[in-house]
Amino acid sequence: MIIRKIQIDNYLCYYDTNTFELSEGLNIILGENGEGKTKFFEAVDWLFDGENRELDMLVSAKKLDETEIGDGFRVRVSMTVEQYGEKSIITKSFLAKKEKANECSTSSFMIEGISENSSGERTQVDGQALLDRIFPFQIRKYSMFKGEADLNIFESDSALVNLINLFSEAKHYDKYSEKGAFLREKAEKAVEDSSKLDKKNEALYKKLEGEILFFDREMAKYLVHLNSTEEEIRKIEGNLQLAESHVSNADALETLNKRIKEIEERISYLTGRIDENYTTSLFDENWILVNFESFHKEFANKVSAHSKTRRELQSDFDKQKGVKEGEKKAKAELLNNAVPLPIGVPSKSHMEEMLNDEICKVCNREAEKGSEPYEFMMKRLKTYLESQVIEDNEPDKDEPLFKFDYTNRLDNLSISHEDNLKNLRLVRTKIKELFEFNDDLKKDIEELNEQLDLEKTERDRILGNSSIAEEKLSDVLKNYNAWQKDLKNRNQEQVDYTTKLKNIESDLKAKKEEKDKIDTNSANSFLIKTRNILRVIETIFIDTKEKKFDEFIEKLQTKSNNFFKTINIDAFTGTIVFTRRNKVNRTIVEVELQEDGRTFYKPNQSLLTSMHISILFAISELASEIQEENFPMIFDAPTSSFGENKTSQFLNLIFETENQKILLIKDFLHTDKLTKTLSIKKEFESVRRNKAFWVKLERPFDANNLKTINSQVITL
Amino acid sequence: MARKDDILKSFLTNELLETKYELKKEELPSTIREALNSDRPIIKAIALIVEGLDGTSPVTDPVLRNQVTQFLNEAL
Repeated sequence: MIIRKIQIDNYLCYYDTNTFELSEGLNIILGENGEGKTKFFEAVDWLFDGENRELDMLVSAKKLDETEIGDGFRVRVSMTVEQYGEKSIITKSFLAKKEKANECSTSSFMIEGISENSSGERTQVDGQALLDRIFPFQIRKYSMFKGEADLNIFESDSALVNLINLFSEAKHYDKYSEKGAFLREKAEKAVEDSSKLDKKNEALYKKLEGEILFFDREMAKYLVHLNSTEEEIRKIEGNLQLAESHVSNADALETLNKRIKEIEERISYLTGRIDENYTTSLFDENWILVNFESFHKEFANKVSAHSKTRRELQSDFDKQKGVKEGEKKAKAELLNNAVPLPIGVPSKSHMEEMLNDEICKVCNREAEKGSEPYEFMMKRLKTYLESQVIEDNEPDKDEPLFKFDYTNRLDNLSISHEDNLKNLRLVRTKIKELFEFNDDLKKDIEELNEQLDLEKTERDRILGNSSIAEEKLSDVLKNYNAWQKDLKNRNQEQVDYTTKLKNIESDLKAKKEEKDKIDTNSANSFLIKTRNILRVIETIFIDTKEKKFDEFIEKLQTKSNNFFKTINIDAFTGTIVFTRRNKVNRTIVEVELQEDGRTFYKPNQSLLTSMHISILFAISELASEIQEENFPMIFDAPTSSFGENKTSQFLNLIFETENQKILLIKDFLHTDKLTKTLSIKKEFESVRRNKAFWVKLERPFDANNLKTINSQVITL
Repeated sequence: MARKDDILKSFLTNELLETKYELKKEELPSTIREALNSDRPIIKAIALIVEGLDGTSPVTDPVLRNQVTQFLNEAL
């Protein structure tokens, strides 16, 4: 089935008539946000499955504004399709009548169908029936995708089974396994009824039936346990794998935090050791006296000189004193130690008279001038005369030369300073050493701070890389260990349940064989033969159905991975793996991304989107192969998480696929920063497509006034 | 080949028929019409079911049951 044309009239931003003449291959509709892409998607969706309510919300405001009160117009979405050489037109529309400004009433919608055969003959048919025939509801469900989230239709465990059943051959075999079971059950019943006619085995038969029923129930019970244990194991394994990606981070974080703490403590210790209390040292440690020695030298010299002078003076003083004592002694010796005459005897005048006469009138001898007696008399006179002058000034004979001995104190001070010089000389070294010590510590701290910065950057990197917060990261290690323990327990449970099931199965088999034995002996042989054949037929039907299902899954897996690898060319992808699981009453298919046989949890959005798209394309391709018919797929913004390059690759890839595809994307458009003019980028030229459109709002428009909004459709 | 013939073929290629009934591949019919004329009860029974479910005029469960069991009861 190919959509040849979509026409939208007066539907929201699509004012008047807008036509998209589509190609049967890849159709790309470009459009900036808010310029009509999604409204196109919604219009088609409304045509397919829209409800008959709030239709006034779908009316073009611009058209309504231009319409006179009391007049009406039609809101319409129409689709022309081609299938098996026949053309069909399906139109969904309603009438909008303007009641007053900005308000309208609407009729109910109608769906019209027109079938046109190869010779151009047109027939009016039921629109809804026509739609459901050419584009069945179940297929429509898997044909329209709005946004990336919509692509993940496999979240519910039955979705993929439904999809596979819908498109795979396996669906044809469903009824066979059902009918096979039905026929076998009826044949079993016929045999049982026949056996029961034989009364001798009645009690044993009843007992066996009861036991078989019991074992059947037990088996179902343990199957449920086993299933849920297996599910838990998968969940724990998932948690563990998720945690593993964090465990190394958590481990590294713990080590880093430890190292950061150690560095911080070391910095704090070293900072504490830095002694920069220089003011105290200046006084308490005598640093202020660092240059004292030169002053001391000058002081000591002065003190020394002073001391010498003093001693000289003292010595002179003592000598003088000694001379005087000596003179006294000599005089005494001269007089034969007789007591001399007192000074002034003879008197001054007598002495002068005798000197003048040059005669000693005391001893009556001549005393010529210059003779010894003359000199003696002269000296005697002099002594008298001197004694008359000195008498007042002569110091006290007992008075010392220096009353106080300050010099000695100065000496002591100087000596004491001299002794201290030894310590003072060390001050300079001490200062130097302290400054060097502090500098060394500061250097160490600087280095540690650099190291701390590096460690913190590393920690930030780890936290940045981690998708969980720091406090949660530290919980990871704890949970990781708990989950490992859980896993061990669950694995043991799985082994236990499996063993138990095997035992029940074996018991059940034994009971059934016992029952069959009674049947063989009691029931009609033809009934038994019929039952046995129908048992085999049922097994064949079930096997074949599963085989077909598995074949489809295998093909789906291969095709999905081919698409997946092509979309993500040159990038890591992992492998898409489909797994069929038989639950108690149903089968489910799970899909997951694996890396080296292990589930790849938390792939990025782009990888996830490409995985979902790959599966959808694969299903669509398989459906085409099996049903010999293609159905279109419509995607609104399916590749938001892709970059423009990847989108190009993706578009080039889907160009190669067979189905008709309509893609609405906002890539490849450029807005000029100055003029705000929109244009299509050159890169779009290299994108392979069958048809391209550009939906853009007619300029100028007022973003706050819907009456000015009109999406134009430009065929590129 | 009609779908019912395809379905029949996929059943008849099941290895149970070879292991349990010693049916050789070359003996296997390729169409429903041939299978309905087979002298092997299991083949004819399968053919009856396929014809009943995917034939030109599908039958109801009781009819299908009667057709198959009656045939088997008589043939065995």
